[in-house]
Amino acid sequence: MRSKTMPIERRSPVQFHSEIKKSEVRDRWTVVLAYADEGRGPFLVDLSHASRWDLQDRNIAQMTPLGKQVPESPGQCLFQDGVLVNRMNRTQAAIWHLFGTAPELPAEPGYTDVTDATVCLALFGPNALAVVEKLCALDFLDPGKQPPFLLQGPFSHVPCQLVLMEKGRGFDGGLLLACSRGYAASMLHALLGAGAEFGLTPAGEKRFNDWLGKPEPVKARPARKRKGEK
Amino acid sequence: MRLEQLPTLRVDPSESCALHYGGKTCQGVAGDTVATALYANGVRIFGRSLKYHRPRGLYSLDGECSNTCMAVDGIPNVRAENTLAKNGMHVEAQNVMGSADFDWMGFMDKLSWLMPAGFYYRTLHKPARLWPFALKQVRKVAGLGKIAPDFRMKGRYAEIYPTADVCVIGGGAAGMTAALAAAGHGLRVILLEARPWLGGCFDYRVGPYDGEKALYQRGRELAAQVEGAANIRVFVHASNVGVYNNNLVTAFQVGARSDSFDERYIEIRAASVVVATGCIERPLLFENNERPGVMQVGCAHRLARTYGLLPGRRAVFSIGHDLGLEAAVDLCDLGVEIACVADIREDGQNPDLLLALAERRVPFLRGWVATRAHGGKQVEKVTLRTIDGLVKRQFECDLIVASAGLTPLTGPLTLAQARLRYDAHTGYFLPTDLPARMHAAGRMTGRNHPLAIEASGRLAGLQAAADCGIDTAAAAAAAADRLRELPGPERGTKLVTAPVKGTKSFICFDEDTTVKNIKQAIDMGFDVPELIKRFTSAGTGPGQGGIPGHNLPLFAARYQALTGATPVPTTARVPLVPTLVATYAGAAHDMSKRTPLDELQKADGGVFRRIGVWQRARYFSQDFSCREEVLNVRTNVGMLDGSTLGKFRLHGPDALKALQRIYVGDMAKAAPGKIKYSAMCNEDGCVIDDGVVVKIAENDYYFTTSTARAGETAEWFRYHTRYDGWDYHIVNLTDALGVINISGPNARKVLQKVIDADLSNEAFPFAAYREFLIQKTIPVRAMRLGFVGELSYELHAPASYMVALWRMLAEAGQEFGIRNFGVEAQNVLRMEKCHIILGVESEQRTNLLDLGLGFLWDRKKTGTKTVGTVALRQAEADPARFRLVGIEMDDSDRAPRDGSLIVDQRIRGYVCTARRSVTLNRAVGMALVESDLAAEGTRLEIFEDECQGKRLAARVVPMPFYDPQGHRMRM
Repeated sequence: MRSKTMPIERRSPVQFHSEIKKSEVRDRWTVVLAYADEGRGPFLVDLSHASRWDLQDRNIAQMTPLGKQVPESPGQCLFQDGVLVNRMNRTQAAIWHLFGTAPELPAEPGYTDVTDATVCLALFGPNALAVVEKLCALDFLDPGKQPPFLLQGPFSHVPCQLVLMEKGRGFDGGLLLACSRGYAASMLHALLGAGAEFGLTPAGEKRFNDWLGKPEPVKARPARKRKGEK
Repeated sequence: MRLEQLPTLRVDPSESCALHYGGKTCQGVAGDTVATALYANGVRIFGRSLKYHRPRGLYSLDGECSNTCMAVDGIPNVRAENTLAKNGMHVEAQNVMGSADFDWMGFMDKLSWLMPAGFYYRTLHKPARLWPFALKQVRKVAGLGKIAPDFRMKGRYAEIYPTADVCVIGGGAAGMTAALAAAGHGLRVILLEARPWLGGCFDYRVGPYDGEKALYQRGRELAAQVEGAANIRVFVHASNVGVYNNNLVTAFQVGARSDSFDERYIEIRAASVVVATGCIERPLLFENNERPGVMQVGCAHRLARTYGLLPGRRAVFSIGHDLGLEAAVDLCDLGVEIACVADIREDGQNPDLLLALAERRVPFLRGWVATRAHGGKQVEKVTLRTIDGLVKRQFECDLIVASAGLTPLTGPLTLAQARLRYDAHTGYFLPTDLPARMHAAGRMTGRNHPLAIEASGRLAGLQAAADCGIDTAAAAAAAADRLRELPGPERGTKLVTAPVKGTKSFICFDEDTTVKNIKQAIDMGFDVPELIKRFTSAGTGPGQGGIPGHNLPLFAARYQALTGATPVPTTARVPLVPTLVATYAGAAHDMSKRTPLDELQKADGGVFRRIGVWQRARYFSQDFSCREEVLNVRTNVGMLDGSTLGKFRLHGPDALKALQRIYVGDMAKAAPGKIKYSAMCNEDGCVIDDGVVVKIAENDYYFTTSTARAGETAEWFRYHTRYDGWDYHIVNLTDALGVINISGPNARKVLQKVIDADLSNEAFPFAAYREFLIQKTIPVRAMRLGFVGELSYELHAPASYMVALWRMLAEAGQEFGIRNFGVEAQNVLRMEKCHIILGVESEQRTNLLDLGLGFLWDRKKTGTKTVGTVALRQAEADPARFRLVGIEMDDSDRAPRDGSLIVDQRIRGYVCTARRSVTLNRAVGMALVESDLAAEGTRLEIFEDECQGKRLAARVVPMPFYDPQGHRMRM
């Protein structure tokens, strides 16, 4: 005998205490598109709803997940059409679907859906890398490395995958961070604490899409101007 | 009265700040340190010394000794010389009974004869009954400063972890030139400077740099260049505290007013390091050489030039280097009456400086030295003698500027394992060879000519750039040529102590160690500086050896000259500069893990404890016996958040081989739809983990581990298969999947309400595995297990769905009175059933057989060797091992604490877990005991912490205590 049907939602481990301005439900996740006061950056965006796959195979270099070539060397990344492929080691790659809904997990045995295994955050904007420097000894400012690139190591003492997506002037730039989901609350506390002096604020997914240049969906019709609008 | 118009000032006289000291308000100005602000207000005695309660005053300005350690805003041992004064600070003198000026303990100075070197090691021990009393008294008077036990540290502490190509330690002329040279090649450079500004020994000096500008002007010119370079990061007021392998450099920085921190810890990784830390002064050893009014050359000079404060009215200089002459000339020009300058050196002085002294009619004595400072609390007079002691003169004065020579600050080099050797020319301890990718520059190499200082910095900067792969060969060769053209290292003074007995000549101010104490230690056989240091405690105080570091080995060698002793320096150790523990703690983010059900558990009244890396709900009421939680599971149904369990996917053609290698059971027997329980051992056969394995598909397995081992499991597999070249892969799903354990006789009824499938005992029996899709949405992996000894289902579901699933089950169980149970209730339940938890019922030496889990070991499996089985075969024949037994207490209401010892005349085992069982109404538990105590009925005595000799009594009983046939979990 079954009980009555309950609404089922998926919950992100990230809960910002900011006023939500706009959100939408996507694949049972409530995705915040914008918060009321996002400030001028740096920004912290929750991407835990973005599908993330683990791919392990002895011949990974020959694999083309979603038609994309796995980067040749560990630490290298490929960012194409909103999909980020991080080469992690000799036999493993991470595939993150940063824009929109991911396709079905491929049937080959090497793939595992690990979306729920990690918390995924984007930290970007002015002085974003100064926030990082307060929590992490990994060198994201190495002029010899061009983004995107992957570093794996402790971030606020927690093992993380960190992908530098952009390096600007000084400490400006942005990165993506993924660590064990259980650390989400501690990681937020550490990040927001470290970023307070720089004005780090939670931001919605739109801010992230604008940053990484997600193409806007083509609108069928231009919105009709209201009376009085120029 | 401030000198407000000096171009060298680093204070802003237009902005005042007020400190509270001794019941008065002391006005300082912006940029003052606590010490200079107090000095400006006439404070000359800052505290009292450790043993003798001698008055102590301003001696250096860089915190080289504890003279000016004070309590500031409740924090003891704050170095007043290095601490910037802030409005409203409350400052107190330390180690005083009364006040710094009138200390009732001052009589201790008269009893110094009772306290020879190492007196506390040699006296007070006999008769033995005296020691406890003496110990209390020594502890009462030992140490400087007091802190309230409930003191809470205020302030903002942070940390940063920057990376650089070149890290330059020292922001003087050499350091800045090195930084510019390296940065000129596009490298990332970090420059650390301990003072709040760049400039080093150039910063306060008005002597000529070249024909056009003064030294301080050159210092500021270099500082502007450094600060303007985009690829040089400058950390001022940042003291280097450590240097480790691979050029890991640590420091702490004191925040300026505009900074977001009060202090922060800095950890720098650099490809190359330049050490340009310069020199401090080698104290002159003479009687009462630490009397307030005696100060170092740099202290007196900087007090005037940097802070605008005249150090005294009438001064006598007793010095051994040209910086002393330069300071005498300058202070004379600034208004200090210089009664006499006595130079240890017979010759070698800069003639320009001698001429300048003559022009100012300052008496100058060659080969003379101060032998005694007179005056009770402050200097009133000084005795000077020729260095052979034959002729003496006395001068009235309120200031003795004294310095025997210079001491290079080689701490960073020695921390990096550089070997130091005494250099007879400079009188310094200099490195014989530098560690790889580390370079020394500036005054620490013995060079004092300004151009030579800079040239050595440039050369070091270019060499550091070469370490980073830049071709600087030509530029470095040119820089080396330039350096050779300039004056080289200067001859240093060799005088160690003035011709005095040394009764009150202090070699270490912090520990009140005199020259006489050193002689006593050597006479007692402590013949090398490292031993003398420990026996006399010289150099072990807050100054970190700054004051005695050079003089101690020099004096020890001189005193033992007949034995051919050579000066050997003591070892520098981290931290080179002391600071607050709070700074090392930094922001101290507590990084712990929370389950997907964390918020729900809190809302349900969960009492959380940190268990390993996880925050877990241990109780659900303030009744920590968990009576209601336990009984509800035994009689009804309860839910536990078990999400912390380790969970893994293992896949690939060789996955089974990997399982066979790690697990003691035959994993080929793992069949679809069934659970296989097994254990892992280490090479010694000791159990490290247990869990269940499920075959999901061909070459595809899902297995669980204990919470504690989850983080290490993947590496454990990889390590033990590293030579096999097997094709398998492991995915850690610990956080990906949450776990709800629904247990109790009504568990099936609850679950049936949310799952559209046959859950009967026949369709889903004990030890079976099933997969369900709840409401066509939530994929659930369900296992029939019985850890708590009841009908139980373990539901594994994606973490993001866990809240929804929990709510669904809670609602379904409402009619049965379902309720949460926490980790402690689970602990009691499984203990009643004698199901073990590894790490609780085992320790490092406990093997599979000790725990009675030998049945898990499949001795016949073929194909691969299993980790630990060789050792297990040997252990099988060993009768003398510990055994896990059940125990029942004589007193049914009194369970011993976990970990209590089982004893007779010696320790025979220990209690693993024991509780008063609410189900059985008796106190039971499990214990590991020596095998001859393992027989049923054996009486055991238990020694518990603080039992005051009254042992608890128990006897060995059969296990399990609850439902021995296991009917309930199979129902």
